[in-house]
Parts: sequence; C-alpha cells; structure tokens
Amino acid sequence: MVGETLRNLLMIAWLLPLVGFAVEIFGGFWGSRKSRTAAWLAVGCIASGFLCSASALVIWGNANHWSVLNKQSHHSAGEHGEHDAHGEQGKGGHAAEPAPKAEHGSVSAQGPYVLTAAVEEHAAESHPAGPTVYSGTLYYLARIGSLDISLDYYIDSLTLVMFTMVTFIATCIHLFAMGYMSEELTEEYVDHNAHLSNGHHVHRPGRFYRFFAFLSLFCFSMLGLVLAGNIFQVFIFWELVGICSFLLIGFYTERKSASNAANKAFIMNRVGDFGFLIGLMVVWTFFGTFRFGETVDEKGTVVQAGLFQLIQRDETGNVVRDAESGEVIIGAHDAALTPGNSRKTIPYALLVVAGLGVFAGCVGKSAQFPLQTWLPDAMEGPTPVSALVHSATMVAAGVYLVGRFYPMFVQEVLLTIAYVGCITLFMAATIAVVATDIKKVLAYSTISQLGYMMLGLGVFGWGAGLFHLVTHAFFKSLMFLCSGSVIYGCHHEQEMPKMGGLWRKMPITAFTMLIGVIAISGLAIPGLVSWSTIFAFSGFFSKDAVVATSLAFVKANPSHFLLFLMPLLTAGITAFYMFRLWFYTFAGQPRDHHVYDHCHESPLIMTIPLMVLSVLAAFCAIGGEQGKLYLMLTGDQPAHVAHGVAAAAGGITLPGHDAIHAVHNQAGTLALIAAVSGTLIAWVLYGTNMVNVAEMKRQLAGLHGFLANKWHFDELYDGLFMQPAHIVGKFCSWIDRTVFDGIIHGSAKVVLFVSKWDRLFDENLVDGFVNLLGTSTFAVGRSLRVVQTGRLRQYVMFIVVGVVALFAILFTTFPG
Amino acid sequence: MNPEFLLSAIIFVPTLGALLLAILFDSKNSEAMRLFAFATTLVTFGLTLMLWGDFQEGAGGIQFEVAKPWIPTWNVYYRLGVDGISLPLVLLTGLVSALAMGASWSITKHVKGYLVLFLLLETGMMGVFLSLDFFLFYVFWEVMLLPMYFLIGVWGGPRKEYAAIKFFLYTLAGSVLMLVAMLMFYFNAPEADGRFNLLKLAEAATAGTLLSPSMQITAFVMLFIGFAIKLPAFPVHTWLPDAHVEAPTPISMILAGVLLKMGGYGIIRIAFPLCPYGAQYWAYTMVAIGVISIIYGAFAALAQTDFKRMVAYSSVSHMGYVLLGLAVWKINEATGEAIGSDYWQMGLNGAMFQMIAHGISSAGMFFMVGVIYDRVHHRDLNRFGGLMGRMPLYSGLSAGLFFAGLGLPGLCGFIGEVFVVLSTWNYSPVLAIISASGVILTAGYILWAMQRVYLGAEYKGPHAEDLTPINTRETSIASVLLALAIVFGIFPAILINIMSPSVKSMAEAAQAGYEKSASQVNELQAQR
Repeated sequence: MVGETLRNLLMIAWLLPLVGFAVEIFGGFWGSRKSRTAAWLAVGCIASGFLCSASALVIWGNANHWSVLNKQSHHSAGEHGEHDAHGEQGKGGHAAEPAPKAEHGSVSAQGPYVLTAAVEEHAAESHPAGPTVYSGTLYYLARIGSLDISLDYYIDSLTLVMFTMVTFIATCIHLFAMGYMSEELTEEYVDHNAHLSNGHHVHRPGRFYRFFAFLSLFCFSMLGLVLAGNIFQVFIFWELVGICSFLLIGFYTERKSASNAANKAFIMNRVGDFGFLIGLMVVWTFFGTFRFGETVDEKGTVVQAGLFQLIQRDETGNVVRDAESGEVIIGAHDAALTPGNSRKTIPYALLVVAGLGVFAGCVGKSAQFPLQTWLPDAMEGPTPVSALVHSATMVAAGVYLVGRFYPMFVQEVLLTIAYVGCITLFMAATIAVVATDIKKVLAYSTISQLGYMMLGLGVFGWGAGLFHLVTHAFFKSLMFLCSGSVIYGCHHEQEMPKMGGLWRKMPITAFTMLIGVIAISGLAIPGLVSWSTIFAFSGFFSKDAVVATSLAFVKANPSHFLLFLMPLLTAGITAFYMFRLWFYTFAGQPRDHHVYDHCHESPLIMTIPLMVLSVLAAFCAIGGEQGKLYLMLTGDQPAHVAHGVAAAAGGITLPGHDAIHAVHNQAGTLALIAAVSGTLIAWVLYGTNMVNVAEMKRQLAGLHGFLANKWHFDELYDGLFMQPAHIVGKFCSWIDRTVFDGIIHGSAKVVLFVSKWDRLFDENLVDGFVNLLGTSTFAVGRSLRVVQTGRLRQYVMFIVVGVVALFAILFTTFPG
Repeated sequence: MNPEFLLSAIIFVPTLGALLLAILFDSKNSEAMRLFAFATTLVTFGLTLMLWGDFQEGAGGIQFEVAKPWIPTWNVYYRLGVDGISLPLVLLTGLVSALAMGASWSITKHVKGYLVLFLLLETGMMGVFLSLDFFLFYVFWEVMLLPMYFLIGVWGGPRKEYAAIKFFLYTLAGSVLMLVAMLMFYFNAPEADGRFNLLKLAEAATAGTLLSPSMQITAFVMLFIGFAIKLPAFPVHTWLPDAHVEAPTPISMILAGVLLKMGGYGIIRIAFPLCPYGAQYWAYTMVAIGVISIIYGAFAALAQTDFKRMVAYSSVSHMGYVLLGLAVWKINEATGEAIGSDYWQMGLNGAMFQMIAHGISSAGMFFMVGVIYDRVHHRDLNRFGGLMGRMPLYSGLSAGLFFAGLGLPGLCGFIGEVFVVLSTWNYSPVLAIISASGVILTAGYILWAMQRVYLGAEYKGPHAEDLTPINTRETSIASVLLALAIVFGIFPAILINIMSPSVKSMAEAAQAGYEKSASQVNELQAQR
C-alpha cells in the first residue's frame, strides 16, 4: 500500500496549509493585531508538510530500494527503470526480486513508457527494480457521457523532490518572515511608501495575520499544482497560485504601485493562460482525457490510458505517425484502454499547437520573453514573498510544467522553448547589469536563470533544466532572504548606491549572500579534493549540465549555434552582475552614512534560515550529475530522453545522454572561464577603485538608458495592448449608446411620429367621416320630424302611397 | 408533502403571501411587512429545497408532472413538472429571491406596494420554470413582466421611467415573436390534445412530425429572438445596462440572478426540443453571437465608469458563455450524424452551470455595489478607493464574489466558463480561440475595477463619513452567496449530476429530431 501511504502523506502536506489559511484569516480578523499565533500556525502547517513530504520521499525510496540512486553512470545504464516498471506491470507483481512493484490497489504503477526492441534489451540487463509512478483519482468534478474531469494525483520522483523542496524552502521563509514582518504586529502601522492626498503617511492596523494566511494559501496552491495528476488540475492550481501572487504582490494595498504591479502580474499571467487554455482545448478535443497517467478502477485494473501513454514514440524517439496522412496516432498500446472520446489521430500541427499553448502558460508564469515584464514589478510585495513566490517556487512552476508535460512536446515545441529561454536569459541578464535596486537585480537574475532552465529543457536536457530549477530555488531564495535582511537592517532602503561596506554591520548576511552569489555565478575550483573532481557550489553543476546539453545540441544542429553562445556569454554576465551586487552592497566604503549608521544585523529568527539555506545552496548538488539530488530528480524521467531523438526529415536532432556526456568537460571549462571573467570584471569595476564607473555610464549613456528602461517593453506593451484595449472598450460602449440605442430610439421616434399622424388621421379623417355621418343622419332625422304628425289618417295614406309605389316598381322592374 | 402539490405551492405561496400582505397589514408598519415578506420567500425557498429532496437524481425525464384542464376548448392545461434542467433554476430562484428580499430593507418608499409586487414577481419566475404547457409558460412569462416594470419604474433611480419602458418594450417585442411561434406549433401539432403540451410537442419534433424543416427555421428564429433579448445577447442587450443601473439593488439581483436565465432556459426547454432542425440550422450564428457577446460585453465593461453599469456589462459577457455552450452542436454536414456529441453535452452542462454560477456571482456583485451605494450614494468608479482599509470585511467578501465573476478556479464562475470553452474547439477552433481570449479581458475589467474601488490609500468620493462597516444583515447575504460560490466551485458535481441526465436526453432527442428533418429535406431534394 505504498501508493496509498504516499497519497495520504502528500495530501496532508497539501491540505494542511489550506486549513491553516482558513483559521488564520478568520482567527486573525477577529483576533489581536499583536498576536503571532497566525505565524506559528502557518509555520506549523508548512513544517508538518515538510515532514510528510520528506517521509514520503523516504518511503518511496525504500519501496524501490533506492534503485534510482544506485545508477553508477548517468549516461548509459541509468534510465531503464520505467521500462522495468512497465514490464512488470504486465505480470501484475514481481516475486523473484526484492523490487516491490506495480501496486494494484487504488493506485497503479506505471511509467511514461516507450517500448522499443532496443530499450527492452537494455532493460533486461539493468537493475530489475525500477522507480514507480503512483497515480489515482481523488474525486470527480463532473462526468458527462464518457468524458470526465477529476482531481487526480500523480506521484513520481519529480513530484516528491518538488514537494520536499517547496515545503522546506517555504518553512525557512515562513520563519524568516516572522522576523521581517514583525513591524506589522501593531494596531497602528505607518506605511512610509503610501501617501494620502494631504501628504501624510498612511496609518493602518497591522496585517501580520493576513500575510501569513496568504502565504499558507499560496503553499496550498503550489503543492496542489505539483501533486496534480491531470493537466486541467494543473490549470486550476496554476490560476490559484496566480491569485495568491496577486494578493501577495498587492499586500500593501494602499500603495498604488503595489496594486498596479499585482494587476499587471495577474493579467500578464492570464495572457499566458489564454494560450494554456488553447492547449487544453486541443488536448481535450483530440485525446478526450486530461490525465497524465493511467486510470485505474476500484479493483486495480487499468481501464484507461493517460496522455503519456496515448502518444507513442518509435525507436528513434519520434512520435508515431500515420503512414498515409502523416497525422500523429493517438492510442495506447492496448487499444482497449484508449479513451472512448479520443480521436484516432491528431494532425501534427495541432500537437504543436497544444504544446505551444501549454508552453505559453509557462511563459507567463515563469516570466519568459515576451511576458517577462511583470516579475520585476512584482518586487513590490514584501521580500519573503519575492523569495518564496517570485523566485523559488511559483515562477518555477512554468519550468516544472514543461518538465511534467515533456512527453507531449515534439521537436518544434522544444526548439521554441529553447529559443524563448535563450532570448530571456540574455535579455534579463543585460538589464540586471544596470539595475540599482537590490531586489530588482535579483528579479532580473531570476528571469535569466529561469531562461536557463527553459533552455535546458528545450535542448533536451530534461534533467538539466529541472536540476537547475532545484538548485536555483535554494540559492535564489537564500539571496532574496539576504536582500530582505539588508532591507530590514537598513530600514527599507533598497537602493544599492546608498549602501556599501555593510559586511561590517551584518556579517552573517554578507557571508551567506556571498555563498549564494558564488553558487549562482557557477564558480568552481577544479581538483581541490582530487584531480578528477571539481569542488563547486550547486549552481555550477546545474548550469554546467544546461550548458553541456546545449553544446551537444548545437553540435548536432550547427545552425542553432546561438543556443550555446548566448548562455555561455550570459554565464559571464551573470557572474558580473551578481558580484557587482555583492561588492556594491557589502564591500568598500559606506556611501550613505545615514543608512550605514542605522543599519544592524537581523535577529536570529531571520539569520538562522539564511544559514540553513546557505548550506543547501552550497552543497545540495554535490556530485553533480552523479549526485543524489540529480539521480533522485531524474528517477522517472521521460523514456525517450536518455537516447535522444534522431532527426526526422528536415527536423532537428535531440542529443541523448551519451552525446551530452561527450562534450561535458568542454562545456564545463568554457562556462567556468566565462564565470571567472565576469567575476574579475566585477571586481575590477566595483571591488577596486581602478575604474570610474560613473564615467563609463556617461559614455555609454545610450546603451545604459536602453537597458535601464528594460528594453522599453513596458512602453511597447502599453502602446500596443493597453491603450488599444481601452480604446476598443470605449468604442464598444459608444456603439451601444449611439448605434444600438440609436436604432431603438429612432424606431421609438418613428412610432411616435406614425402615431401622431395616426391621431391626426383618426381625429380628422376617420372621426370627420363618422361625425359627418352622425350629423347628416341627425339632419335627416330632424328634417323627417315634420312628417311625424301622429295623425292616423295621414299614416294610412303614406302606407297606401308606399304600397302603390312598391308595386309600381315591382311591375316596372320585373315585367311578367 | 405530495410532490405534485409541492410544485403548485412553490408557485403560489408568494402570491398568497402577497394577498395576505395586502389585506392584513397596515402600510405604516414597514418592518412587520418586510419580515413577513422575507418569511414568505424563505418558506418558498424551503419548498424548493424539499423539491430537491424528493427529486430523483439520475433520471432524465420530467418528474412530478401535474396536468389539470384549464381552458379545455383550446387544449390549455395547467401542466407543471420538473427535471434536471429546471430544478437548479427553481432552486436558484428561491435562493436569490430570499436573498434579494433580505436586501430589500434599504427600500423605504411605498414598502407595501414594493413587497406585493416583489412576491408576484417571484410567482411569475417560478411559474416560468415549472410550467410545461406553452400557454401557461407564456402567461407566467407575461406575469413576471408587469411587476418588474413597476419595480423598476417606481422604485428606480433618476431615469427609471426610461429604463422601465425600455425593458418592457424590449421584452414585449420578444414575447410577440414567441406568441407567433406558439401559434405555429398550435396549428401544426399532430395531436389535438397536445397542442400546447411542451412534452408532446417535443416528442412530435423528435419524430419529425411537428413542423417542416423550413418552418422550423422560421419558428426557431422567432423563439430565439425572444429568448436572446432576455439573455441578453448582442446586439439586443442594450436594455440591460439601463435597467440595472436604474433598478434598486434587490431588483438588480433578481434581474441578473434569475430573469436573464429565463432566456437560456427558454432556449434549452422550448427552442431546441421543438425546432431541432432550426436549432442546428442556426447553430453557427448562435455560437458566433455568443462569442461576440463575450468579447463585446467585456470590452464595454472595461470602458464603464459607473460601477453598476460595469457589472451589468459583465453580465452580457458572462451570459455569452451560456449561449455559446448551448449552441456548440456539431454535426457532419453530409450524414447528419453528431460529431463528438459528448462535447455538445459538456457545453450544455457548462451553459446550465454557468447560469447558476452567474446567478450567484452577479447577484453577489450587484449586492455589493448596492451596499456601497446605500452608504455614499454614488457609483463613480473613479471616486472610490481605500475601502479595504475602511470596510475590510465588506471588501474581503466583495473580493471573493468578484473573483467568482472573474472565473477563478475554486469558485463557481470558473467551471461554467471553462466547460463551455473546452467544448467549443470541437465545434469551431477559431471561435473557441476567440472565446478563450475573454479570460484576459475579464481579468482586466474586474481587477481594474477592484483596484479603483477597494485598493488605494484613501477614499476619494463624497460622504466619506458614511462609510460604516457592513452590518450583519448585509454580511449574511454576502456570506451565503460567497459560500455557495465556493461550494459549487469545488464540488460542481452537485449540480452537474442533477443536470446531466436531462441534458443528455434533450440532446439525444434533438439529434434524432434533426436527423428526421434532415432526411425529409433530402427526400424533397431527391423528388425534385
């Protein structure tokens, strides 16, 4: 019952923060503003969540005897577990091996699989125990005919690593936030950044509880996203993390800049979600299911294949297409498992559309070009939010989803992902070079690093991209917390030109920050421990993996050489701007004595998380691609990743692990050279006084202005989309008032006009005629009154005359 | 209680309440009258809940059918019944009426008249959803119109006469067309006994013996225009912003919460089953109108400066999803067979769900606008701000309800919208993409409005001293709506399980009827 245990543990970890949210928001609203209860509750929830996740990870590992960690070489024998899992599933359990397998309870064990002759041969000689995927359904949202939409879970090594990482970092950040947000523990908080019309600052009650309630809600949404077992469920939690981000960015509701930033973040994300929705529509219409994994009934038999089984790949790694039409075949290996509503084939172009659509959502969430502009503005939120939501977890959700949905992506989509990542990583790094707000530098650095992850995934480094996601989460949350510590210590000063020399005042912050800076820059010392190993912090290994993959990719597809050159160049820029930040802030002499004199180191509740995170930022990736983290993360990697994909006609080749391994050292060396150069330049410019930076800035004013204005994207979008939308809106409103109401009013006028004439007609013609008739009748009557004498003799005479006249007429008219 | 009697009770308890109110109460004792009227609506809502309890989930057909001769010479029957399509709307009517009555404490002018008309209005609405006789349906349709006219025209804002007349004439124009269609059915019904019987007429339509294909096309247009005005769909929606802006808050809640749903209900209850060929003939037009309504309404909402008008246009946009979901009926032009009929059913279910969801969220939004209007007596979006600090509970509840309108997952608005949009690709990819783009615009106008009203450093408008915290009565109304928005957002199956069997049988009957008529058309062409 491993599957059920895992499901229960992760569900507790997932739902506890929701309970926490409900209690905190109501309890806090009616409770004291000075109480820290909400914070302790939030910490308790998320820390318990971490314990559950970690236990789940251990249980999962034990269940398959840590087979993922026992792979000795990452490039040849490592990735066959999935096939084993599948192979055994057919037999319904495995007796001879210590490997616990395919569990047929309410869960199924399966891997996203490809069965090819070559792979099966490999599988036979490699480890018998393979990692397993546990999936199942929580409840149904709706069942309509043969379509059903449900909330599912899908637990594999990626889920578990993400869960553990998210809950751990969130726990650290919650603790940090208890110190950082302590100023809110008051009945009368003065917001120095919000002004009333009379120029005074805003005074308001503290909102400590609300902050932690929102953080809890965010944790719930984020964990739900990771646990999701179908793409629709991902979308649900995708939007929920979006609204949490909105609430947290706009936490200081009184500040116009904060509410603008919150709106911008949500609406730009919705632009991406529009694409996501298109992807969902295609998937839904053609596949008839949203589930990643197989659907299992109560008895444990597989009744329906999931998306990952419906797309089949041949031995070259390409999707299987119909020989005649060229459309991609939809269907599980066992035809009976294909969902009733799925069509038989999907045009290749639509598969590309589906992939690009889902990726569009990721572009929005992960702030990739062209939807990157919201993330720097999102720094309006309190710094712990920036650390948790806008660097470590939520913005990485886009990368996570690309990794999760990987089996559905075809070459064209991957190439787009690679280029988007490539453009983003370079552009954001250039802007970071000129930014002076400490958080903005980190924000652009986040965008740039997310670009690296996307690039890694795009060039077929599934493990590399996600590896960088995890290491980045640690060092970037560390650095954001350090910047938070600086901001807290300097009384909400964020401009680096006003800092300088702070290491004397805040040594712990300065030192832990330095670890983060070294980690992100990718510095390393070859041969420190032994000749064959490299001593380095986490960032080096993951960035190395990304760069090596892109080098292998470029070697296979030389026309896409930019995909290697740009990240290499940017590795240098990254080292440069990160060390610039560190030198600017902590080294040298104080530039603003007012700030410096009042500055102080943060309390222990803030510095302990820094120290814990710095240890992980430094050492979590030890061993690189033979290290435990990487092996664990890639335990369930999509099957076609290991061997690469051979180019179809006119297509591109995706490198397998062998090809990547071949260029690993070369790429690592180049990246290290770039990083060291960047570091040296930063040291020369900002660490020493050898060069006058201000003079340089003046000489390069044009370029500096262009970068400082963020490549003018804000102005561009404002002119291209915002203003037109308002104009179209006004136009629609105008049409309503003039055209449609005009027609209504016009027809009303016509009716009034007609009825006026009608009245005239009635009163004059009709009434005239009737009156005429009346008056003439009356006149005749009056004139006849003279014959009404009352004398009988006269009447008799009238009758006689009348009869005679009648007869006369009768005889003259009808003679005979 | 005998369920057949229950149906009549649901319709006429409000009338009874209105009568008692008129006879027994002194018109100076407003408080007692309000309480009595509120109790009446609560009892009615309780009765609808009892109906839900008696209702057999999973059955597609009509339940608790009542049929008594009413005007035998014309074959008019007093025929009631309920199925999975009408039950959710009956529940919604009961709920929104009770809540709107709860919101009516702000009405101080001619309280007695107001309450009597309000209760008569409820009778009309319930009657429309429960009657299965076309004539009876038509009568209730008109019954509902008159109280509404007076409620807007007497208790409304500055331009109340204009708005009331506009509302009345628009709807009346629609009813006239409906009347013509009704007569077409009457004289073509195969069985004299079932000339107004909606069930019999639908059966005949399914068998292809009601109207000829060309007549179906005409009859459908007339029915559709009548219902589209009510919905309201572009371009016959312009009565809605005026009616909403001028109507008092509770009436706005009723308008948005229930009245608009009659349009959708009429389409799915009458127009589709009685003219399946016509419906299929006009499907693309309807889908296109639905998509235009979504986008057009959203753009127009973006441009409004009047808070209530903004919410009114959001209704146009949201009801566009209803029309879109109803009409995504894809067939193979050559063979007449349905393509992906499950997707059409998903669209129908989504549309039905959207009606309920919109009933909850928009009633809530209008109520929230009303709460603030009662305090500061203006609705200019640019002269609010800072309410989050002044009225935190009110702002929090409003935020929840506006997020429900925005279509946030976990709240009811999401399910309806996303089901409809997902089912649209099967019908037309291009229109599906356009309709999906609505999510951006919706987020735009709602967030922008929220920013201007609730966020910011300070309140910028007049009567700042009147910004008192939300009171218990108001809190309760808003909380009930928000709680329902959450429940239906997380467990949509509660409603879908009621609806989907009835929707399925309607869709299958319509498909069969279409195929019959289509084969008639083919025969005619072959003869030529």
